[in-house]
Amino acid sequence: MGDAFGAIRAVARAEVRVGWRATLLMGVVFGLVAGIVLGGVGLAGRTASAYPRLVEAVHLDDARTLVAADQPQLAAAVPSLPGVAQARTDEAWIAQLDGPALRFVSIGAPTTAHENLLDPVVVEGRAPARDAADEILLSESIAQSSGLGVGSIVTLRMLTLDQVSKFDVGFGPPAGPSTTVRVVGIGRMPAWGGALAPVQAGPAFAAKFLPDIIGYSIYVRLAADPDAAQRFGAAFARTAAVVDQISPSLISQYTQRTVELPSATVDPSVRAAEQVLVGGLVVFVVVLALGGLQVLGQSMVRHHGVRGGTQRVESALGMRASERAAARVLAAAGAAAVAGIVAGGVALAAGWLEPLGSQARFEPEPGFRPVWSLVLLGGIGTALVFSLVVAATAAIAGRRRATVVPSVRAAAINPLRRWPAALLGTRLAMHGRLGRGGVPAVATVIAASLAMAGVVAAISFGASLQRLVDTPARYGHAADLTIVDAREADIARLVADPRVAALDVGAAGTAELADGDQIEVTSRDVRKGRMPIAVAGGRMPTGPGEVAIGPRLASRLGLDVGDTLEVRRIQGGTVTLQIVGKAVITSQNHGGIGDGAVVAPDVMRQVAPGQPLYDATVLAVPGAADALFAELSRNLEVFQRDVPTAVANLADLVTLPELLALVLAVVAGSGLAHALLTSGRRHAREVAVLSVLGATPGQVRATLAVMAATTVLPALVVGVPLGLGAARVLWWQLATATGVAGDLAVPGRLLFVIVPAVLVAALLLSLAPAARAARTPPAVALATG
Amino acid sequence: MQVSASFEATARAVDAPLPDDVPDPSAVGPAAPPELVVRGLRKTYEAETAPVRALRGVDLTVGHGEFVALMGPSGSGKSTLLHLLAGLDRADEGSVTLAGVRTEELSGSRLARLRRRHVGLVFQFFHLIDHMSALENVALAALVAGARPAEATERARDLLDTLGLLEKQGERPAALSGGQRQRVAIARALANRPTLLLADEPTGALDSDGAAEVLDLFTRLHHDGQTILMVTHSADVAGGAQRIVRMRDGMLLGGGTDAFGEQP
Ligand SMILES: Nc1ncnc2c1ncn2[C@@H]1O[C@H](COP(=O)(O)OP(=O)(O)OP(=O)(O)O)[C@@H](O)[C@H]1O
Ligand SMILES: [Mg+2]
Repeated sequence: MGDAFGAIRAVARAEVRVGWRATLLMGVVFGLVAGIVLGGVGLAGRTASAYPRLVEAVHLDDARTLVAADQPQLAAAVPSLPGVAQARTDEAWIAQLDGPALRFVSIGAPTTAHENLLDPVVVEGRAPARDAADEILLSESIAQSSGLGVGSIVTLRMLTLDQVSKFDVGFGPPAGPSTTVRVVGIGRMPAWGGALAPVQAGPAFAAKFLPDIIGYSIYVRLAADPDAAQRFGAAFARTAAVVDQISPSLISQYTQRTVELPSATVDPSVRAAEQVLVGGLVVFVVVLALGGLQVLGQSMVRHHGVRGGTQRVESALGMRASERAAARVLAAAGAAAVAGIVAGGVALAAGWLEPLGSQARFEPEPGFRPVWSLVLLGGIGTALVFSLVVAATAAIAGRRRATVVPSVRAAAINPLRRWPAALLGTRLAMHGRLGRGGVPAVATVIAASLAMAGVVAAISFGASLQRLVDTPARYGHAADLTIVDAREADIARLVADPRVAALDVGAAGTAELADGDQIEVTSRDVRKGRMPIAVAGGRMPTGPGEVAIGPRLASRLGLDVGDTLEVRRIQGGTVTLQIVGKAVITSQNHGGIGDGAVVAPDVMRQVAPGQPLYDATVLAVPGAADALFAELSRNLEVFQRDVPTAVANLADLVTLPELLALVLAVVAGSGLAHALLTSGRRHAREVAVLSVLGATPGQVRATLAVMAATTVLPALVVGVPLGLGAARVLWWQLATATGVAGDLAVPGRLLFVIVPAVLVAALLLSLAPAARAARTPPAVALATG
Repeated sequence: MQVSASFEATARAVDAPLPDDVPDPSAVGPAAPPELVVRGLRKTYEAETAPVRALRGVDLTVGHGEFVALMGPSGSGKSTLLHLLAGLDRADEGSVTLAGVRTEELSGSRLARLRRRHVGLVFQFFHLIDHMSALENVALAALVAGARPAEATERARDLLDTLGLLEKQGERPAALSGGQRQRVAIARALANRPTLLLADEPTGALDSDGAAEVLDLFTRLHHDGQTILMVTHSADVAGGAQRIVRMRDGMLLGGGTDAFGEQP
């Protein structure tokens, strides 16, 4: 055993002497990739946990309610209602805030100290001091929308309870006290709004303005039993009903008789965003990890293969395969450590990354937040994986070659192989073998093709995503403005307005399919211009027997263009509609994309019972939308275009495929560069033989260039279409799930550049081994090869 | 032995049109200058410990059609000398004149052209290309010299036929015996009809049958007018040569210029 270890050490020392540079480089590159993977995992974790961590950090209340100031007995009763474990009663005011933008805000302030119940995370500045009546903390969203920050001085003019009761009918200037306060902090909370005021002050404020409160915000920590929420809710409703009878409130229309349950109800858009973002990150991490492992594996096999002969000698001297592999692992221990340190370092640096996209607004600890377990275990794991790859590839490279050598066709030399460079170059590229050539050439070509496919797929997918986000028509939001319940007079005025490029009057209603399924149908009455609507296939309906359905509805019903849809008529019986296209239309009811149907107006009247919802959608000429909105909103209910949550979530992911393409290209590119740069050394003997036969340096260069091209060309020929195919399938799936058009945006110009660029890069890379071959006298190459 | 049975084919093969502008060796008369003239050749290797003076002033002349055996103890510089003669490495001092051309001042690509026209090389360990069939290995040499694929194939077939290997033309080197591999290597060395055949221990890796095969082939080539310089450790093998030159410590014993220095 001691002997074996001595031999292992000796071999390891020799390996370090000859190959430390290459091994170290592989360690650094692998460490970088592993670090990005670890960073991605950490980021996915941070993104997925942002919301629950914020809930925990702020000690979010389980239940809350707002009680009017003129019903103090109800507020006093809440803490002792069934199901309540702990309660906190804050005082509440409504004030006009004289900031950069005039608005009404609600203000809350605790009267007593409270433990572990609703403390906003202060992301900037500090919380109001207990004894300062002139300090406030703002919610992030109000700070942003009102243009206020830490240090801002604002005046709060409070409303009286009487004024609040007249809020919707007009009440004159605020009649309550005025006070000037300073913004000392910006706070973060998962569920501002409702009973939780976006302006928070301290106990001193509460004491000072006690006479002027309009209500009590009561936050409750429920008992641990599962039906505590229900018990509390029922008890509160009962108590409130009793109090309402004894002393009705002035502002009963603004107070609730049900309780909010903030910790139990999570906004579904938060969940959806989290799923999309984490899903995207997981795909990113998995693809990158597989790519990195594959490239490291192949480079390592090649690395061991360059001196494949030494293992045969060691084997002849009696070293077992495990000992030979152990020697190589020992030799690569330094590089493995470097890989681990680099990976850990990158993972540590990734601690700066905030949660992805929309989830960043829930991060309770903004800034540097490394995952130490990921840094340490990930670093160690990376070093271990690196060593494992070294061992496995050493074993592969040291394996005895196959004994059966297939004969080749004894055909005449193909005329295409007129140049010896073409004959030898393609042979060497296609028939690299274990032991000397290292990676079987087929494996190199497959790896390069997959990498190429990955890059192309990521780029195309990213381009499609970008196009979706940039083109509102693709998610059914072509119009700049939507006017709800538009009257004909307003419509006529708008049609005449030169700032209006297109105007449709849409009607929406619900129709029933023959099988009882309910779908939303819309009809569009074109009054001016042409509203761009994404048609994912076919066309829009024009006649009475036609319908266009949304992509998501099509996939749910399993129907396509050319099929028919049977819809119940209001007067009984059914009408059969021909599906002439797939159109991306957003629902007017729930904002869902692509799950409705579009029909002609008279079909609409036949199939949708009741008064349909009318709206006018307006596309402004470029640049005119804002002015038009400002003007119309003075006397009409107008909405500007908003980005649907599903699309907003995807928009947050837009850079991910591009980043993936970039990192994959770097990883695959370095693998390919390694293959090409070592090609001269791996085939040193063959190149020397070529010189012996009288090949000029030019012919040697040509041979290596052909080799490089033969390695890269199949990757381009196979990888580009494969990548486009993969992107098409993936994009189609995502598009259908989202309800938008599923056609892929092929980045033609980019691909047009990539293909020759890769080829030229390969040819340039082949110059290096050619120069080395020219410097080495063939006699030396023959002796060492 | 099948080698001798098909030997006439060599003559036919030699009559085939020549690739490139290789001068026809049959045009060279007995009055022509010697095939190879070496003067004052020195080569020192920079080793880690002390420099190794592999050649310390070698003078050697090989006439047309001569068959010279080069013998000497291991490490005496035989392979080094052969490599310098073929232009596979550069000498520190001295001159090599190949077919009347001084090689030391030639550029890499001119040297390569000279080599492909005039020198065929055979090694102890064959140095065939594993990924190519026997036929392709031989044809590659002709292709390098500018032959068209059809010509190269025909010439390779002829040579393999001559050497009794036609039925093995589709095999990879790994599927051939040592003797067969060496015969493929010899066919490759002859593909461009070199005026000088250099062989470094061509029988060194072969058993006695294989060695006999190769020696028989060399003898016949010699009878056909081929100039041969062959390194060997075996007195038996050297016995087939016309003249034996001995080497020790980087120098030739007895000068080596005398065309009739030492009869076997
Ligand atoms: N590339 C090289 N670098 C350093 N020294 C070398 C090199 N090639 C040969 N030598 C040294 O030059 C000397 C002559 O070597 P050479 O190979 O010419 O001997 P040889 O006569 O062919 O021996 P053998 O009969 O064993 O083949 C030896 O001492 C050898 O160690
Ligand atoms: Mg030798």
